[in-house]
Amino acid sequence: MPLSATNLIAGYGGKPVLEKVSFTLDDGDILAFFGHNGAGKSTTLKAVLGLIDTIDGEITLNGERIEKMSVDQRLERGIKLLPEGRGVFPDLSVKENIDVVDAANRAKGSQSISASDVYDLLPVLAERRSSIAGELSGGQQQMLALGIALLGTPKCLLLEEPSVGLQPDLVEELFAKISEVCKDLRVPAILIEHKIVSAMKIADQVMIINSGRLVFNGSKAEAEKIDLWDYF
Amino acid sequence: MTMLLVHLLVDGIVTGCSIGLVAATFAYFYSATGTFHVAHAGIYTFCCYVAWYCIGLDIPFVPALLIAMIVGALLGMMIQGLLYAKLERLKATPLVMLIGSIGVLTVLQNVSAILFSPNIIQFDLPWRTEYLEFGPILLSIPQLLIVILCPLLFLALQVFSSRTALGRQIRAVASNPELAQITHLRPQRMFLYAIAISSALVAVPGTLVGIDQAMQPYTSLIILLTAVVAVIAGGIGSLAGAFLMSIVLSIIQSVSVLFVSGRWSLGVVFAIFILFILLRPEGLVKRKFKREL
Repeated sequence: MPLSATNLIAGYGGKPVLEKVSFTLDDGDILAFFGHNGAGKSTTLKAVLGLIDTIDGEITLNGERIEKMSVDQRLERGIKLLPEGRGVFPDLSVKENIDVVDAANRAKGSQSISASDVYDLLPVLAERRSSIAGELSGGQQQMLALGIALLGTPKCLLLEEPSVGLQPDLVEELFAKISEVCKDLRVPAILIEHKIVSAMKIADQVMIINSGRLVFNGSKAEAEKIDLWDYF
Repeated sequence: MTMLLVHLLVDGIVTGCSIGLVAATFAYFYSATGTFHVAHAGIYTFCCYVAWYCIGLDIPFVPALLIAMIVGALLGMMIQGLLYAKLERLKATPLVMLIGSIGVLTVLQNVSAILFSPNIIQFDLPWRTEYLEFGPILLSIPQLLIVILCPLLFLALQVFSSRTALGRQIRAVASNPELAQITHLRPQRMFLYAIAISSALVAVPGTLVGIDQAMQPYTSLIILLTAVVAVIAGGIGSLAGAFLMSIVLSIIQSVSVLFVSGRWSLGVVFAIFILFILLRPEGLVKRKFKREL
């Protein structure tokens, strides 16, 4: 499996927040990850990226154990995070945003998606190339954040509330683009999202966490048969 | 009276150009890191002493200035690597960083006095007191170098920041350090580059002002205070605002002696600063995205 976690226990300062979280993701799969605030969604993403310590359990990316690796090592292996509401460099133009990350990836030697590929995948960025990122609309900023996350050699996308602050029509547009990119590039993604209906449209798997414990983990078909709210 | 005014204006512009580069480099590092780097004043003085020492060893002026710039860059990198980076890892508050920086400034002032001289130093350069006439304007060669080199280096810093890959990377880190951390931009390395550049550049006004006027280990703090006022009044995050405001403040400070005793001229600068804080807190050049104090 491209990305999997087995009995993952992680937390802050040695105190566990996640309790034996397990999941597996196949190529191009989108895992919609739900839960109330503080349930452990962001902690799970941080544990996958290495921003917090794994206390116990395993995280595997394309067959390689990564739970003891540094953040840099995991980034080099293609784990990409789109952080909530702060995924762009607001002072720089769109082109500069793409160029600085593109150059940093090239310096690292990891480059299957270059700046020109991002412009092809997300044409709106090419149109707004010279605009200052902080002056773009919310939707355009999220497209740019997605473009930045895709640069390099993405092997797994961690998407943290990408719809925050977006109008409903822009959410649909952004999610359609996320789905298209994941399927085209065969990159799995974990999507933390509070807009459940929109996220369900592009999800292949669904996971619900409550107080650090997974209370539901199944396919989209299985999730559609139940009332998700019962698990919150 | 008119001649006096012209001389005071020219004096203000010369001083403004030197303080302008101190202010712009201070603002550059502050924008990149958020660190209120008052030890910048210590580097300014220390580099002047290094150049003075080199010239005392019969090293020509240009290589001596380059050596001072290199020493400044290395000193800055040491301060960033050994102090600021460690304090940041310990999640020190901005106040702790400021106190740490004041500590470094004090150490640098004392080290300058111990290693070189606690007394007023003067450069042994024959052209130090040579003057050139431009109509009614009389400029010493060190002053001429200040009005040419400082604005040129300021422009070079602007071009570096906006047109080069490294300059853009430093701006990216300043703009969003958390995102920089997860996109291979290595903020700590960028901070080292930023302090190396600002420290190397501040060696130039440090040395030239030392040649023009003289230098003591403890004089730089007043220059830094004026520079910081210019950074805030010019609009934090705007290098151009900091540089222009330095010239404006220096001209006002210089011309103010026509109306008040010279001993109050620094007070005039701070009075203007208070007016700016009250009436235009965003500064001369308004910036949409910036680090707040």
